[in-house]
Amino acid sequence: MLFRVKHITRYKYAQRVTRCYNIAHIIPRDTARQKCMSNQVSISPQPTTTMHRGDYFGNNAYHFEIQNPHTELVITAESDIQIGDHDIELDLDLAASYGEVLEHLREMISPDTVEAREFLLNSPMIECSEALEDYARPSFQSGRSLKVCVSDLTSRIFNDFAYDPNFTTIATPLASVLEHKRGVCQDFAHLQIGCLRSMGIPAKYVSGYIETLPKPGEKKLVGVDATHAWIAYFSPNEGWVEYDPTNNTAANRQHIVTAFGRDYLDVTPVKGVIFGGGDSPLLEVSVDVKRLESR
Amino acid sequence: MSKAKYSQVQLQPGGQSQSQLLQPLEYESMEGLLDDVRAEDGSIKPQWSYLLSTLRDIGPEVMREREQKARRILRDDGATYNIYGNDGSPSSSWELDPVPNVIGSEDWANIEAGLLERSELFNLVLRDLYGPRTLLRHGALPPEALFSHGGFLRACQGITLPGEHELILHAVDMVRLKDGSMCVLSDRTQSPSGAGYVLENRTVMSRVFPSLFRDSHVHRLASFYQRLRLKLVSLSPSADVPLVVLLTPGVQSENYFEHAYLANHLGFPLVQSGDLMVRNGYLWMKSLDGLKRVDVVMRRVDDIFCDPVELRSDSQLGVPGLLEVVRTGRVVLANPLGSGVLENPILLKYLPKISELLLGREPRLSSAKTYWCGDDEDLQFVKANIRQLIIKPAHRGSGISSVWGGSLSDEEINLLLTAIHTKRYHYVAQERLEKSHIPSFVAGALEPRPTILRTFSVATDNSYMALPGGLTRIGTAPHGRVISMQSGSPSKDTWVTASEPERIVDADLALEIAQAAQASPLLSLPSRVVENLYWMGRYAERAEGSLRLLRTVFVLLNGEERVSPNARRILLQAVTQITATAPGFINASEELLANPDVELLRIIIDSGTAGSIKSTLNSMISSADESKELLSTDTMRVINDLRDALEGLDIELAAGLTSAPEESLDPLVTALVALSGLMQESMIRGIGWRFMELGKRIERALQTINTIRSLMTTVTGEGDQSTLLTALLVSMEVLITYRRRGRVRRGIELGLELVLLDSSNPRSLIFQLERLQQHLDQLPKSVPDTGELEEEGRALLEAMTSLQLSRVPQLLETQSETREELDNRLHQLDKLLKDFNRFVSDKHFDHRSDPQQLVTTFWGEQ
Repeated sequence: MLFRVKHITRYKYAQRVTRCYNIAHIIPRDTARQKCMSNQVSISPQPTTTMHRGDYFGNNAYHFEIQNPHTELVITAESDIQIGDHDIELDLDLAASYGEVLEHLREMISPDTVEAREFLLNSPMIECSEALEDYARPSFQSGRSLKVCVSDLTSRIFNDFAYDPNFTTIATPLASVLEHKRGVCQDFAHLQIGCLRSMGIPAKYVSGYIETLPKPGEKKLVGVDATHAWIAYFSPNEGWVEYDPTNNTAANRQHIVTAFGRDYLDVTPVKGVIFGGGDSPLLEVSVDVKRLESR
Repeated sequence: MSKAKYSQVQLQPGGQSQSQLLQPLEYESMEGLLDDVRAEDGSIKPQWSYLLSTLRDIGPEVMREREQKARRILRDDGATYNIYGNDGSPSSSWELDPVPNVIGSEDWANIEAGLLERSELFNLVLRDLYGPRTLLRHGALPPEALFSHGGFLRACQGITLPGEHELILHAVDMVRLKDGSMCVLSDRTQSPSGAGYVLENRTVMSRVFPSLFRDSHVHRLASFYQRLRLKLVSLSPSADVPLVVLLTPGVQSENYFEHAYLANHLGFPLVQSGDLMVRNGYLWMKSLDGLKRVDVVMRRVDDIFCDPVELRSDSQLGVPGLLEVVRTGRVVLANPLGSGVLENPILLKYLPKISELLLGREPRLSSAKTYWCGDDEDLQFVKANIRQLIIKPAHRGSGISSVWGGSLSDEEINLLLTAIHTKRYHYVAQERLEKSHIPSFVAGALEPRPTILRTFSVATDNSYMALPGGLTRIGTAPHGRVISMQSGSPSKDTWVTASEPERIVDADLALEIAQAAQASPLLSLPSRVVENLYWMGRYAERAEGSLRLLRTVFVLLNGEERVSPNARRILLQAVTQITATAPGFINASEELLANPDVELLRIIIDSGTAGSIKSTLNSMISSADESKELLSTDTMRVINDLRDALEGLDIELAAGLTSAPEESLDPLVTALVALSGLMQESMIRGIGWRFMELGKRIERALQTINTIRSLMTTVTGEGDQSTLLTALLVSMEVLITYRRRGRVRRGIELGLELVLLDSSNPRSLIFQLERLQQHLDQLPKSVPDTGELEEEGRALLEAMTSLQLSRVPQLLETQSETREELDNRLHQLDKLLKDFNRFVSDKHFDHRSDPQQLVTTFWGEQ
């Protein structure tokens, strides 16, 4: 399936910004199940330099520097992404058990496993805790297939937590999300990662887009799609497997990956330093995911 | 050493008995201490014998004199190690023990070989950790040891430097073990400090002990610094003449002295983050004549702070966008960003294995036995032996501090164990090594002190070169556990004795240096430095003018002739005006005017009152610190005198104003006059001098206008008039001229002519304007000269014309209580000069707005 994603980020400043230096993670990367066929980034005002590179995690990092004074910054990224056709419906019971996975992780030093162990550790926004471990434990039994464990954890988060865009900000700590049982996709992803790491399973943050389908009989509106976040966990036999706690599902062909990281901070869509600008810049984001062809 | 002798010395530090003076200076090892001086059989090791016999002959009294001399030189050089206290005031002086640490040539050959090998090894480790990470894949290093370390900067993956080496400057802290071999405690690989202090220590020692130094055949240090310079220059990615800068966090940095010292010695501009900017994908230095492209940065800012875009987002010490320029190879940082990962003490545990893998052999230099709490076995060991171990953070920036388990209570041990349990990857433990002691000069005697040696190596074309010497630091007491610059440990010069006379110049090196010197660009200055010189000039002048007026007012108020209440009010108000400390005496009550001491005291010594003498001088001193690398040793000495005089003033005025307070101000005036003389006599007439002069002249012109307005615009009776005129003339140093000329003519007309229009009076207003014009003509022009006056030129010309067209008798004419003509004219001149000043600063100084983050996130512990 071929998708076209148009992602527009718009910053409006109270005062003139004289110059700025930014990094954007807005170009989808290649993964085992998707390939970015083409992409184009346009920025207004015109940057003095731009640079597109692969970062530490293999993501597309797009750097730009603007030296023209401006009060509005618009970044438009348009990408075509080919996604593997079948939904990943797997036989949950055939995979390795949680206990076996833990053992493999300890003993194997294959390059994949060595790299995955990085995602067992605390990261800037996710710190393992007893509270997270306590919450996660009921889903994990040593003899149970890891996939079943994770799937169960995903459902529990989906059922226990309320989606509430007004409750959290980027800076809301994980403990507070866990306590109040509410948040947005990014919080749920951080929460599930914290749970998995606390249980000894490497887990990473996935940023991307999700295609929303209109209700039957209604026409889809442009721009209603959103940036999204979910998780991937590692098992030595299967590699990285993605789950979406916000939607209680394994990632499927409606999930388009932009970037992988330890947490949000590694893959912030647009970040940087501005000179001037005044207080609280206004941010607007619009995302449109369109199917170009279904085969 | 007997106990009695020890206590006697302590009780009488200053006045020793005659018999003691004649005593030779002997060194005796202390029972039960590991000592470097004596061999196992009790004989003195050969490297120490010459030094100790010389010291014996020198004796304690001469030694004290030498110590004093060393202290004086250090003070005059402004050698400091700033330890900022809670009140923000630096308590600082670089401590140098006058007894050097001596290392024999054979001994050194071993240390050196171990060091060079270690630097090669660390270089390979650095390359691997930010490259293929084979150390992890081969199981030589557990992934958690790397991935959990705060010094591992993922943004730096894949960055490489031109040439063979990634690690340019490497420092190693080591102690001597019982068997005489050296053992490494830690490595410094970010921006190692100390190499500048080494040079300063050597300079001082060779001046204090010229013959001892000469006869000891000590290895010279110069070629190390030349190598360092060459290496940095060679890293330049550009084919042009490279611009290398030394990046310092600023004057608040504890090592700022060293940064300025090294920058001067190496011939690189000293810059702070605000002096640099990224533009069009390159790094630039803002200088007075525009942006200069920077090729290489020798950084003394920790890597995490170097770029708020990609590294620590709240850093004010870095340059936004720098890392991306580094990545494209258009600028080179040394040491490279990310090199702090090598300071991870967990590496010490795995070093033998790592060395096997990368070099095929175990390292020559041993490291202190290190346990990592991330390893199950080590964790058990640490738990069981915590009281015998030093517990340290794996990463220095993690907020965990080092602690000796033996010093903790049971409760503290439990807390520590819990902390270790929650963050086990972040803790290491090290065995506590007994440090070898060497003689040090303490309170008039030689005493053993525990020692740490910091050595340095620098990358050359295809290998490393070790500094033949190093920074020796000693504990403050025998057995002292903590030895660090932060805890105030004194330093020593380190003498590596040469077995054979040294070749004075290495021919190849000499040639390279000559070529490099030829290629050196003229040193351009960051505009910040120039701005600081300008402010130094202004503040010095402001302080001097205020002091002169205060002195005059004190003399008049306390003098024999009675001053009328009216004149008294005008005088005191002038003090408030000139120091800009309103309200003060403006609209003051009769009571305050009758008892002005408290307010006057505040105007002099209250550092919290902007405009007070103390606050102005503090500002002057901090401007001087910011441009330290351009000031001569003599200038630094005068500035130190000022510091001392300020302290003296505090003490003298602690109980209130004295009976003749003007005398207390004399040392300050004297020092300021000396400073002003030095600026005239010993500063190169470069752009820096010009701006300092500009600041001084503007300030003096404004002060003159202000003083005349305060004292002369009110119409008073004959007697008061005379008092006020005297005040004006005395504070402006022209009373004698006035009296001489006054044989013919006297009065306010003559007085005003002298201070306003007499070009031969260096304190007159016209004199200042003429000087300003001369300096303005010499400033760099931003646009091609079209013959049209720029706005600052217009303002100055208008001021000059207005002044020259003035006729004093006209200015003095009035029908009312105030001399409006005079006041208006002075007001106009004041405004024009302030415009001039604003135009000049806007054009030449950088007034940047502070950067902010586009997205406000937070940076976790990692």
